[in-house]
Amino acid sequence: MLIIENLHTTVDGKEILKGLQLTVPEGEVHAVMGPNGSGKSTLAHVLAGRPGYAITAGTVRFRGRDLLALSPEERAREGLFLGFQYPVEIPGVNNVYLLKAAVNAARKHRGLPEVDAFEFLTLVREKMRLMRMDESMLSRGVNEGFSGGEKKRNEILQMLVLEPSLAVLDETDSGLDIDALKVVASGVNTLRAPNRSLVLVTHYQRLLEHIVPDRVHVLVNGRIVRSGDRTLALELEQRGYDWLIGEAA
Amino acid sequence: MSAAVLTRLKNEYGAARAALPGSVIDTHRRSEAIETLCAQGLPAGREENWRYTNLRVLERARFAPAQPSAEALPALPEPLTGFARYVFVDGRLRSLATAPHGVTVRSLLSGGAPDGPWRFASELPEARLALLNEAFATDAACIEVRPETDGAGIELVFLAAAGADSGASYPRVRLALNSGARLTVVERHIGAGEASSLVNSAVRVELAANAHLTHYRLQQCAARTAWFDTLTAQLAADARYDLLAVGTGALASRSTVHAQLTGRAAQLTLSAAALGAAQQSQDMYALSEHLAARTSTVQTFRGIASDRSRVAFNGKIAVREQAAGTDSRQSLRGLLDGAQAEIDLRPQLEIYTDEVRCSHGATAGKLDENMLFYLLSRGIAPEVAQHLLKWAFLEDVVAKIELAQLRRQIEHGLAGQMREAVALRELL
Repeated sequence: MLIIENLHTTVDGKEILKGLQLTVPEGEVHAVMGPNGSGKSTLAHVLAGRPGYAITAGTVRFRGRDLLALSPEERAREGLFLGFQYPVEIPGVNNVYLLKAAVNAARKHRGLPEVDAFEFLTLVREKMRLMRMDESMLSRGVNEGFSGGEKKRNEILQMLVLEPSLAVLDETDSGLDIDALKVVASGVNTLRAPNRSLVLVTHYQRLLEHIVPDRVHVLVNGRIVRSGDRTLALELEQRGYDWLIGEAA
Repeated sequence: MSAAVLTRLKNEYGAARAALPGSVIDTHRRSEAIETLCAQGLPAGREENWRYTNLRVLERARFAPAQPSAEALPALPEPLTGFARYVFVDGRLRSLATAPHGVTVRSLLSGGAPDGPWRFASELPEARLALLNEAFATDAACIEVRPETDGAGIELVFLAAAGADSGASYPRVRLALNSGARLTVVERHIGAGEASSLVNSAVRVELAANAHLTHYRLQQCAARTAWFDTLTAQLAADARYDLLAVGTGALASRSTVHAQLTGRAAQLTLSAAALGAAQQSQDMYALSEHLAARTSTVQTFRGIASDRSRVAFNGKIAVREQAAGTDSRQSLRGLLDGAQAEIDLRPQLEIYTDEVRCSHGATAGKLDENMLFYLLSRGIAPEVAQHLLKWAFLEDVVAKIELAQLRRQIEHGLAGQMREAVALRELL
């Protein structure tokens, strides 16, 4: 699904990713953990194609294609989804309009006709119930006046409606209380499928209690310094990151 | 402005005077208006409150009014349900409707009892182009509203059909609401074809105690039109004036609004949106003068300048000594959409008393990169994303349009390719 090789990225002339290697096979859930400033969010943004990140070396292949050659909107239409750590508020752009425009952009890309308005709304309402979101949020501006937890739920709602092949969730657990975390996690879990992969970028182990990863990677100073199964996350919870930072240095 | 233009103006007036209808404005007052205007001079770019107006168009304009035209009307906007429509061609009433219950609409050209003399009370230098209208006006719509209206509305359509070489157009309106009366007025300024034309409109609003006027003004003139507009308003105690202006047309557009809140607890909301593209200039000067206690003004402006256009809004709130307890808010925002575009926003506040609550904010900038990336990351095409964000930017004003049918028309006008958004919004 996703093969990252020797990825080097700079932001404002400062190198953040320094030869990152990561392979996420189809159907697997991988967690990328690491201390503050290790490059986790940079990785998520680079994958989604955010401007301002210079790729100085390396390749990223997504479903066999050169991901870095695609524009952000092409990546999305090809089935890549980024769940934002800080979803922006866009007052005046209706949530449901955004959802529908996004779904239709992907459908058009695949040569499919536009989604039927009634079926679409039925689907969205069903997913909203799953995310325990109030229907009135549909007609509001994108994330407008939403609490932190509502914004994160809205990210997952978008993901559920768009059904991406690869979802990269950037610190989706940050700022969530335990109930919201469970709702978000169960939303994510419904999307697990043999033809779909997930990358969970997170700081803490607690999200991984609810979304059990196949692999856990530790990102320190711009490189993956250790990979393992889910027990690695538990080890990090107990020992912190310092011992790995020492090893990486 | 050169002396040659004033000389030409006087000469054109002298030649036209005999043919100007005395039932609209008598000759004496017309001559007085021309003299006063010539003494003050036409507005000049060196004057602070005219510096963003495209005044060059006045240099080559023909001031005498266009001759009445018998040509068939072009396609007009879809009529609004529940509104009586009056169409004026080059400033003269062309089609009469049945006025709603409680409302009297008269054309001064078409006869009937002449209206008592009414003037544009404003002495402001910014309002002096109303004198040009007073000198040359060919017709006037006088609308009087009694309290027993049934919620129906009036739609005034001003069509500029004549080219600049055949003469100018002078829309003139007086809206007087008696005590406790309510009315919704939609005022459209549109143009026919490609002809360049000069339109100089003057609107007077008088709201007696407790009256409530909702006034939508749409400037959608043809691409080469020069539109100069002056609106003065007086609000008595507890009167409420909701004015919403959307400007998208004309080559050079300037609107001056002078509202005087003379009665206790009078309320004014002025919401304006302007779009500039190509070489357009969209300029608005709005003065809200608080002359009584507990009066309030809310000014909201959203403007987008694209290509090489210029969009300007100069909003002034003046709180006089007798206006303790005034509450005013100003929110002015501009969006630059092009390296050569220009936005000029000026919030001004002048306070001569204590115990007032006045807030203001003005920001101009480009589209928010974070919002843009968020939309792209959902697969939205860049041009659609930009369009959506511009749309959203105008929403603070557009959302205030309570008439769904009118809002739809304006939304379609503002964002032609976003019909889907409009349809969906209606669905929910």
